[in-house]
Amino acid sequence: MEVLKKLPEEVDLLLRSLSTLNVNGQEYKPTEFVLSNYIFFMCVALTVLAIIMYVAVKNLKMVPDSKVSNAVESLAQFVRDDIAAGMIPHGSKKYFGFLATLFFFILTSNIIGLIPGCKPSTGTMGVTVALSTTVFAYFNYVGFKNQGFLGYLKSFVPHGVPLAVAPVIWVIEVFSSFLRIFTLAVRLFANMYAGHIILGIFAILTSLFIEPMIEHLSAGSVVGALPSIGWLALMTALYLLEVLVAFVQAYVFTLLSAVYIGAAAEAH
Amino acid sequence: MEFIGFGLLYGLAVTAPALAIGMVGGKAAESTARQPEMAGRIFTVFILSAAFVEALALLGFVLGILVQGKL
Repeated sequence: MEVLKKLPEEVDLLLRSLSTLNVNGQEYKPTEFVLSNYIFFMCVALTVLAIIMYVAVKNLKMVPDSKVSNAVESLAQFVRDDIAAGMIPHGSKKYFGFLATLFFFILTSNIIGLIPGCKPSTGTMGVTVALSTTVFAYFNYVGFKNQGFLGYLKSFVPHGVPLAVAPVIWVIEVFSSFLRIFTLAVRLFANMYAGHIILGIFAILTSLFIEPMIEHLSAGSVVGALPSIGWLALMTALYLLEVLVAFVQAYVFTLLSAVYIGAAAEAH
Repeated sequence: MEFIGFGLLYGLAVTAPALAIGMVGGKAAESTARQPEMAGRIFTVFILSAAFVEALALLGFVLGILVQGKL
């Protein structure tokens, strides 16, 4: 298989293009202040989201007749009823704005990343850690506000724990709540990053097998190009899976945020 | 040696998640068969659990790729 000899260097190129670079494709030092490729696509996602939202709410009606309004309304209703109301027992309306913002931003970023040539802004640790830190700050704020300073600190220990082990449990629970920053961020990042690496590898394999046929057409090169049909089919299937993953990851991130907010909002 | 290690990494990283996702899927199918009227709710729970499990497998994969250049 001599076509496969080129694979390692192509994969290296792919990994390099998926790392955080300057928007013009050059590497930069950590001390430099530049617009990186992921931040550029985050701005693109924010602009697209703002335009979609503006079009959707431009003329609100009791029975929406535009497709954009219908789509946005059904998603917003999904966030309100399934995520917010399902996980926060009382007063979920107050937190709907925050959760819907998270959901729509992550969903738009993930979908933008699926367009060939674009990158998902959620495919870098910088953006996902920023998102999860925001969630962490928000649910702690909700906890301190709703339960009072000491009440919230006490609520880390469940009821019925013997007094002797309560301090140990408290330390573990506080530590695990700090770990939420890490787990939320890494789950989203790993899904988007790995998904794009896999899509990229299948695209590289497709092009590697078809390359000899394009260079000179002969019976041998046509037979050699046959595997690329299989790679292309696999890539299409994985692409469809990635569309599902884009939705599921936005859903999971928002749902977990709702769970954390719901737990912090009430004494239990 | 590094290449063997990297080859093994993905295989080892997915063994436990593979078992777990099988369990999740099997139980989801079982509970849908018992109570077909709850299918929608069970599917949500299934997708959620699958996402949690999948993250573990992807973590091994991504960490492997990130560490690969630094060995």
